[in-house]
Amino acid sequence: MATLLGAAARRLGRGADRAAPTADPDAALAADLRAAIGSERVRADAAARYLVSRDASIYSEGTAGPLCLPTSTEQVAACVRIAADHGRAVVPRGAGTGLAGGAAPLGRPVVLSLTRMNELLSVDLDNGVAWVQPGMVNLELSRRLAPYGMHYAPDPSSQQACTIGGNVATNSGGPHCLAYGVTSAHVVSLEVVLSDASVVTLGDLTAEPAGYDLRGAFVGSEGMCGITTAAAVRLTPDPAAVRTLLIAYDDVSSCAATVGAIIADGIVPAAIEMLDQRCVGAIEDFARAGYPRDAAAVLLVEVDGPPGGVAVAADRVAEIAAANGAVSVRAAADDDERARLWKGRKSAFGAVANILPDYYLHDTVVPRSRLVEVLEQVYEIADRYDLTALNVFHAGDGNLHPILAFDARVPGTMERVHAAGREIIEASLAVGGALSGEHGIGVEKRDYMERMFSDADLDQQSRLRAAFDPHCRLNPGKVLPSAHSCADIGSLRAADGKIWG
Amino acid sequence: MRLGLDDDELTSCVACGLCLPHCPTFVITGRDTESPRGRIALMRAVQNEGAPITAEVLRSMETCVQCLGCETACPSGVPFGHLMETTRAALAAEGRITPWWQRLGLRLLRHRRLLLAGSTLLALAGRLGLVPARRLGLPARLPLRRGRHRASGSDVWLFTGCVMDAWQRHTHLAVQRVLEATGVGVAPTAGAAPCCGALHAHAGLATDAGAIARQVIAALSVDGRPVLVDSAGCGAAMKHYGRLLGTAEAREFSARVLDVHEWLADRLDALLANRPAAPLALTVAVQDPCHLRHSQRSHEAVPTVLGPFVRELVSLDDDGLCCGAGGAYSMLEPELATAIRSRKTAAVERSGASVVASANPGCSLHLAAAGLDVRHPLELVAQALDSDGDS
Repeated sequence: MATLLGAAARRLGRGADRAAPTADPDAALAADLRAAIGSERVRADAAARYLVSRDASIYSEGTAGPLCLPTSTEQVAACVRIAADHGRAVVPRGAGTGLAGGAAPLGRPVVLSLTRMNELLSVDLDNGVAWVQPGMVNLELSRRLAPYGMHYAPDPSSQQACTIGGNVATNSGGPHCLAYGVTSAHVVSLEVVLSDASVVTLGDLTAEPAGYDLRGAFVGSEGMCGITTAAAVRLTPDPAAVRTLLIAYDDVSSCAATVGAIIADGIVPAAIEMLDQRCVGAIEDFARAGYPRDAAAVLLVEVDGPPGGVAVAADRVAEIAAANGAVSVRAAADDDERARLWKGRKSAFGAVANILPDYYLHDTVVPRSRLVEVLEQVYEIADRYDLTALNVFHAGDGNLHPILAFDARVPGTMERVHAAGREIIEASLAVGGALSGEHGIGVEKRDYMERMFSDADLDQQSRLRAAFDPHCRLNPGKVLPSAHSCADIGSLRAADGKIWG
Repeated sequence: MRLGLDDDELTSCVACGLCLPHCPTFVITGRDTESPRGRIALMRAVQNEGAPITAEVLRSMETCVQCLGCETACPSGVPFGHLMETTRAALAAEGRITPWWQRLGLRLLRHRRLLLAGSTLLALAGRLGLVPARRLGLPARLPLRRGRHRASGSDVWLFTGCVMDAWQRHTHLAVQRVLEATGVGVAPTAGAAPCCGALHAHAGLATDAGAIARQVIAALSVDGRPVLVDSAGCGAAMKHYGRLLGTAEAREFSARVLDVHEWLADRLDALLANRPAAPLALTVAVQDPCHLRHSQRSHEAVPTVLGPFVRELVSLDDDGLCCGAGGAYSMLEPELATAIRSRKTAAVERSGASVVASANPGCSLHLAAAGLDVRHPLELVAQALDSDGDS
């Protein structure tokens, strides 16, 4: 009875805030934001700010200022305008699943979380597009399109949690981008709030829009050119047939060699994923997907399309695998088994914690012909630094995802992790590779950009960015190394680094 | 402040974010403070970085439904439920959560006669229009009379619990009817073990939860017979007595606890021998209680047992997301609980079912309060057994 009385008392007393922030340096800014978009959409307390001061990467250098959760384009624009009035930068954020620190604030910017703008606005079957808000979760979008026999093709491993806005910002890839192309190929038009709070539409639904392809320039700009408030994404018809093959090997080299051989044969599977033994072990501990724990490496190959073509391609892939030393080839018997295999693959990064508590994930791309040699170097480098390396990656694209697993609580570990990471990047670049396949540059690879691009290249990139955001108010300090960016603006000055107390 | 959290458990979260879409409060609010990843980060900040326990940190912990949807989604195997229970225990010990009136209410659950009498009084007051039941999140009509428990043998215990026995005894009687159809004698626990302690553990009252667990173990350990539970929440709590008390006796007891559907799924032939000529002419949606799906992970037994007795079973397309009941959560956090529930009711509508089968009393009360026709799966089975083919 006391419970009931108490519940009643509490309900009647609802509405009064428990605590009001005091002596907050952001007080005036937060007050303006609250006045503009409603106090329930602004949080300036330590707990809220602490949690949006990082993403899924290991980077956390700045602290978030007030956190805004706008629910409309107009509110996003209002936040951008008010931040500018107060001389503060703005960092947009989706689900915070990014791995390169792209959403981790530097300085003390206003953080805009777009998670509540998560509506499917319209489905336009005639034009083959759907308009979605940026906070729409990637997998949820495909679920919502399923009744139309359609899906959204790019499928990052974090697709069950990551948002379309974040996908646009990083030009995300995913296993099925081998055949279908990455995000940029699936975003035809964008509604964007620019740094002066104006709202523009980039690209349109016609096949060949007039003028420069500003949409193309925007996709992958990591929140530095504007904030996506709506996106028209391409609808991809569900394939008539799908076959998923699990191919096991006794050695990593044969596994890697098969990848090149499949492509050389003229087959472009929907996906070719490679997992090494340690990774399989970590995944099986969680997903019990049926990956063979005793194989040195496995390939997950998926072919899709019309049933006849799929059968032929699957047989051919199996032949090529056997010719390259595969010890077993198994086809998923049904949709359930197929779903389990993909669930395992897509939970690989998180599953690393089954081995060690922390990980640092790289994202370099190397020519397929050099896969074997770079992989060997990755293992060698990790051994030398006394770290555990796991490999799980989009082999078809040559997009490596070497994971360094470690325990950050052991003193001196982070230094070894960073040194090993640097060597892995050098090794990838040395064979003609690229810094990032799909995770973006963010903070993580910013200072490696000079290894890959000349001063002239970087200055041009900086000018492109300035064309969109002349005052460097949007996500400053990312992607471009400081010598080529306006990162020294006031908004990036080291803020009081302590959030608590 | 030390929260007393295990450092290995705390560091097992790599902050990948795959839990986010499986967290009912994050799905509603979109805020990291109301997400599993955020809650763990705040636990870390408090325990390792000396962060103060602000009002917002408390809200973050209090708004958790403890549905454990994040646990099944977590590739890193973070034991979130244990982290949250430990955190709440530390906060409750400091008097930061679970105020006196909640503690008083929870204490009442252990006093069966008082609870039953109070419930009857409340039912009476309700009939007289003296209790704003809807506003308090109570069932519209509490029972004035309850059927009598009677033991039919001593092959299995049927755990009857506290609030469920006061408000939904008809469910226990139906469950007993179904169990007896397989040829066993059933002993309802009734006054012998008045409460399982789940709500106490949820509220951070670890000492009370431990005392209750010891009381239940002592009362139900006269022999090694199975302890069958028809409430998913109670079953989950009792299966965790081993971890809660850390004794061999508790572990042995927990191993004897089974959700009643689990037990029946292994004796389906005996049950089906009594099957009527025709199943109930109903389209039934199975709602997976979180404590069956994410904690006990035995939810698949429900459709196995119920399927043969109804015309059509449909599953919900919401990926097993919580309904927002969460033990006392629906009373303590009514706004969030209602918002979470509206997603579930929308999923039920999409499914086209006319009846929802729920194996947990909290879920069933919470969903019924939204106007759904909710029954315990075994109430439907009992109805089918008694229908003699003319449903």
